[in-house]
Amino acid sequence: MTYRHKVASEKAARATARAARRDAIWPAILRQESVISAGIGVLMLVIWAGTGGAFWPVWVWFGLAIPLAFQVAIRRALRAPKGHRWLAVHSEISAVVALILVVIWLLTGAHAFWPVWPVLGLSVVLVGHAWIRRSVSAGREQALTNRVEVLTRTRRDALDVQAAELQRIERDLHDGAQARLVSVAMNLGLAEEILAKDPQSVAELLTEARSSTLTALDDLRTVMRGIQPPVLADRGLEGAIRALALGLAVPVTVGGQIPGRPPVPVESAVYFATCECLANVVKHSGAQHAAVELSYPAGVLSVVVRDDGSGGASLATGTGLRGVARRLEVFDGTMALSSPAGGPTVVRMEVSCELSSPRT
Amino acid sequence: MRAVIAEDLVLLRDGLARILRAHDIDVVAAVGDPVSLAKVLDEEQPDVAILDVRMPPTFTNEGLVAAIEVRARRPGMPVLVLSQYVEQLYARELMRSGAGGVGYLLKDRVADVGMFVDAVRRVAAGGTVLDPDVVTGMLAHRDRSQGMARLTPREREVLALMAEGRSNAAIAGKLVVTGKAVDKHINSIFIKLDLPMDADDHRRVLAVLRYLQADSA
Repeated sequence: MTYRHKVASEKAARATARAARRDAIWPAILRQESVISAGIGVLMLVIWAGTGGAFWPVWVWFGLAIPLAFQVAIRRALRAPKGHRWLAVHSEISAVVALILVVIWLLTGAHAFWPVWPVLGLSVVLVGHAWIRRSVSAGREQALTNRVEVLTRTRRDALDVQAAELQRIERDLHDGAQARLVSVAMNLGLAEEILAKDPQSVAELLTEARSSTLTALDDLRTVMRGIQPPVLADRGLEGAIRALALGLAVPVTVGGQIPGRPPVPVESAVYFATCECLANVVKHSGAQHAAVELSYPAGVLSVVVRDDGSGGASLATGTGLRGVARRLEVFDGTMALSSPAGGPTVVRMEVSCELSSPRT
Repeated sequence: MRAVIAEDLVLLRDGLARILRAHDIDVVAAVGDPVSLAKVLDEEQPDVAILDVRMPPTFTNEGLVAAIEVRARRPGMPVLVLSQYVEQLYARELMRSGAGGVGYLLKDRVADVGMFVDAVRRVAAGGTVLDPDVVTGMLAHRDRSQGMARLTPREREVLALMAEGRSNAAIAGKLVVTGKAVDKHINSIFIKLDLPMDADDHRRVLAVLRYLQADSA
């Protein structure tokens, strides 16, 4: 169990204990109050029996019953599930008030049934409260439903992307480095066997083995760059994009800076998204120049890639850009594309995230 | 010649030392981290330092940082940086640490033992050696830049080989032309890149630098 989990569970345990204590104490207090009230009631009855006159103790009993009734009602209301509690309190209090009015009406001689008006008023307010409560929770429910839909989709996408990525890495390693190492092992084995009788052929085999090893290294480097380019780990997003820009056929200006490092998965996703955008610039735009602008306004990591090319890029036609959008969505990030025919093309990518302090 | 090696992977450190010793280069120390490197540089005063880019404590680019620091402390101290991958960005940073006596190669190049030992000697002698991959990348990038646009494809090839630190004779051999033809190309490059008349070696370095730093400001 992590420290955070431990703290949370301790907190929950304390809250439960508090609730249990409250549950034990409340009925006791209520019982004591009832006994005292009953005692006072009986005392009043005795006094009345001694003095005579109109039967006034009923008013004392009524007065004593009111606080008890409120306490019982509120206690009941507070047992309602969270989210409905205020409505329950409201309805219980309204019921008690209505009851009090009816009792007063009875005690004052039960003439015209005037309590109907205040009770009607209380009911209207209560119904209003219930209606507002319902529409609010319906709105929240709708928002939650939408959120669950988005999360389900992006989670599926993330898993798809990950699975495809692993498959690609496996294939690259299998067809590349692994195959070459097999051939190296074969050459060396053969060389060992014929070492004594045919040194000339051994020399050739060794040369071939060395060259296969070098190609295997090249293959491995390519695979590694596809997983996590070393320069990204070394220099962060800004440095890695600068390094990337240096190797492109189209001149790219890199501007702005980020005052720290985003979380590794976000950094990686944004880096590869930027790679894809710049690859599109080089391949499709016919641009003379491109610019990447990095910034971090108000907790949002923002990368804007613009070029002076011919425009006309769209999410519908470019699977690359759609992939970028999907990659970013996993982090609740967004990608906005503006690419009118004739250009310029501007891709704006935003992911809200926290930054860690820059590594020194 | 006296060399020190800084490489954290024992297997590669021993391999490098073995290759250098086999070619009569005295490996006076082989260490595994930048702190020990600084210490042996002070103690041994070697002619050349060979560094791996990735070393403890963070295993990112300590070797590069160490190389630049070493050269800031002792200007012109020959360093050869080896790496499993090369970045133009890093090549530029190294070149900015001062002209001459600097090298940046993929580790793969060590497999060509002759070429590698030659590179060590050239760096120790104050030459500049850049990995062909870096140079190729730069050529692709430079195609649209001003000075480079004026060079013919052949001149660009010659400049690329110069950037790799090759001598005129080596360039002639590689391109299968006469030494005279190479001289002619090189002069033409100097003129097109607008380099001042000076000692030939210095102009060669300048040509490479010009080429590297064209838009790095």
